[in-house]
Amino acid sequence: MSPDGGLSTTGSLLAMAVGCAAASLWLLLPRGESGMRERAARRFGTLLGAVSLTLFVACGRRLGGIGEEVIFLVVSLVAVVGAAATVVTRSPVYAAIWFALALAGVAGVMLVIGAQFLGVATIVVYAGAILVMFLFVLMLAQPTGMAAYDRVSNEPLLSAVTGAVLLGLLTLFIGRLSAGPADCCSFPLKATALAGGGTAVTGQARQDTDPLAADHVARLGGELFGRHLLAVEAAGVLLLVALVGSIAIVSRTPTEEGTVPQPRRVAP
Amino acid sequence: MTSLVSLLPSLATVTALVKIGLLIGGLMTAAAYLVLVERWMAAWVQDRKGPNRVGIPLTKIRLFGLGQPLADGLKIILKEDFTPKHVDKVLYAAAPLVLLAASLAIFAAIPFGSSLPPIPALGLTGEEPLLVAPNLDVGVLWVFALSSIAVYGVLLGGWASNNKYGFLGGLRSSAQLVAYEIPLGLGLLGVVLAAGSLKLDVIMNAQAESGVWYAFAQPLGFIVFLVASFAEAARLPFDLPEAEQELVGGYHTEYSGIKLLLFLVSEFLHMVTAAFLIVIMFLGGWHLWGVTGSGAVETWLTAIVRCAVLSAKIFGVILFFMLVRWSWPRFRFDQLMNLAWKVMLPLGLANLVTVATVQEFRPQLVAALGADAAGWVAVMIPWGVFFAGWIAAGLLTPSGTDNRPIRTHGPLDVEHELVEV
Repeated sequence: MSPDGGLSTTGSLLAMAVGCAAASLWLLLPRGESGMRERAARRFGTLLGAVSLTLFVACGRRLGGIGEEVIFLVVSLVAVVGAAATVVTRSPVYAAIWFALALAGVAGVMLVIGAQFLGVATIVVYAGAILVMFLFVLMLAQPTGMAAYDRVSNEPLLSAVTGAVLLGLLTLFIGRLSAGPADCCSFPLKATALAGGGTAVTGQARQDTDPLAADHVARLGGELFGRHLLAVEAAGVLLLVALVGSIAIVSRTPTEEGTVPQPRRVAP
Repeated sequence: MTSLVSLLPSLATVTALVKIGLLIGGLMTAAAYLVLVERWMAAWVQDRKGPNRVGIPLTKIRLFGLGQPLADGLKIILKEDFTPKHVDKVLYAAAPLVLLAASLAIFAAIPFGSSLPPIPALGLTGEEPLLVAPNLDVGVLWVFALSSIAVYGVLLGGWASNNKYGFLGGLRSSAQLVAYEIPLGLGLLGVVLAAGSLKLDVIMNAQAESGVWYAFAQPLGFIVFLVASFAEAARLPFDLPEAEQELVGGYHTEYSGIKLLLFLVSEFLHMVTAAFLIVIMFLGGWHLWGVTGSGAVETWLTAIVRCAVLSAKIFGVILFFMLVRWSWPRFRFDQLMNLAWKVMLPLGLANLVTVATVQEFRPQLVAALGADAAGWVAVMIPWGVFFAGWIAAGLLTPSGTDNRPIRTHGPLDVEHELVEV
């Protein structure tokens, strides 16, 4: 989209996309009904969701090479659909799996735009560690996942509208930002090595022009432990506190005074 | 016309696709034939003949049993793909796919050779690295991330089976994978710290240039990584999923046919990945003193020799994996967890601290002693820590061979007393 001329068509497309997304989420969120009405609502909601996604794709900007474009679309669709399915699905285990898929999509988007460390760290930290713990708990606590509070969404209308409007505003503003000065914020094609495609630039030339590809992780580490040292240390101390706290809770063994049930003697 | 040309894949895409094809084809064939090698090895250890009959089909030519992988594959693929009634169908089918996809995608960051010399005829003007994603700056983390994705396959397989033995097996295996990821990461970190890069090809080059493989410079890290990678690959002595007699199997109890095959292939690929990583990170990769050189690749001969050295080392490590399988009894689950948290984790931390200290004070060492002596000291200090850690682990950890029931004083015991009195 151009900064002034094409904004109105893009804006109306975006507004339609947001409306469709809100309606689709509202229809899809679980409301404790069952039978024909619910099934019809889910079908219609899925259809509206597909329409909304198509509209979002239509008002987005082109990235450049066809390889980047296809891969970016695939991973971002995985992220968005996964996130929507996380809140919409009724089974907690499935919600966790959809969330993992959404995280994989987000990591893919990060890889495509060149933030390699963030992408991989998302997988290691969220999908690999935190979500696995969630899954453990969910699987042990509720094998069937059909408790009453899982079947009903509290504020379907409000949450659907809020989510859709937030998505629309973010798309609009990020789109405006990246439509600014040329080559400043347009998606750099960092992922030519991953995605293939792009121009045949040799590795050395690419490294010279690219602020991210050369020593990407080393620079990130320097920044983290240079400018943001205090924040990193504070986060580390916070994690240590959480660790000590969890050990304190767990190690409250029954051998402490007063908690052990004394063996009662049963009269022979 | 120009738009049509722009639709054609670029050279980078084509080379990447060719590498992916080579890698997946090679890995799958290697996995099939390594199963045969494993069976030969088992037969040799147990003083049997092993599979030696199947040769060329419809003839009587035996070929030492080299047709066996084909016959095995056909048999298990043609088996009925049975799905029990009580399973969660979607996740039951997805679990093996997740596991296989994760264990194949790991190889995007793992080099399978040094690099090829320039091929001007094909338009390749620079050295072509034998690595699918050469610009991935986070290679080691990529490997780590995808091996943590493998936990999903195990956990979902167990849960979707809707069978308490399968579920418990899934929990057991995923707890094992999660626990051993920590010593694995500590072993990786020591090497990353010494090489100063997360790229696996840079790590290999660093070892080739100095001539000191990291197994010699960081013996403790090597041992910790070796044990952790055995556990991550679920090989004996950590193969609780295979414990049919004692535990009714693991997460794939309810699986059969092609889905079981996918599980088994991905477990085997985990072992191959572990062998790749051990060789690349600790055993010098393609480097061999006096044979491969250590600089850039100039001739095809160097490229081929380096590939051969790397493959030979990997094959050697895989043979070691297979020999260990027949020389070591299976761990009990609590022993396995104790080993991870009480032995491997402190040892890994000790290694990391040692490596960091040596790296930090290396310039001072070089200034004080000269380059040669400093190099010797930088190798000897980790060996001192290695023996100290070994002795400490032997003295401090409780004996793992005591198989009597553990006397706890929990509520269960009290109940037990109540019943007895």
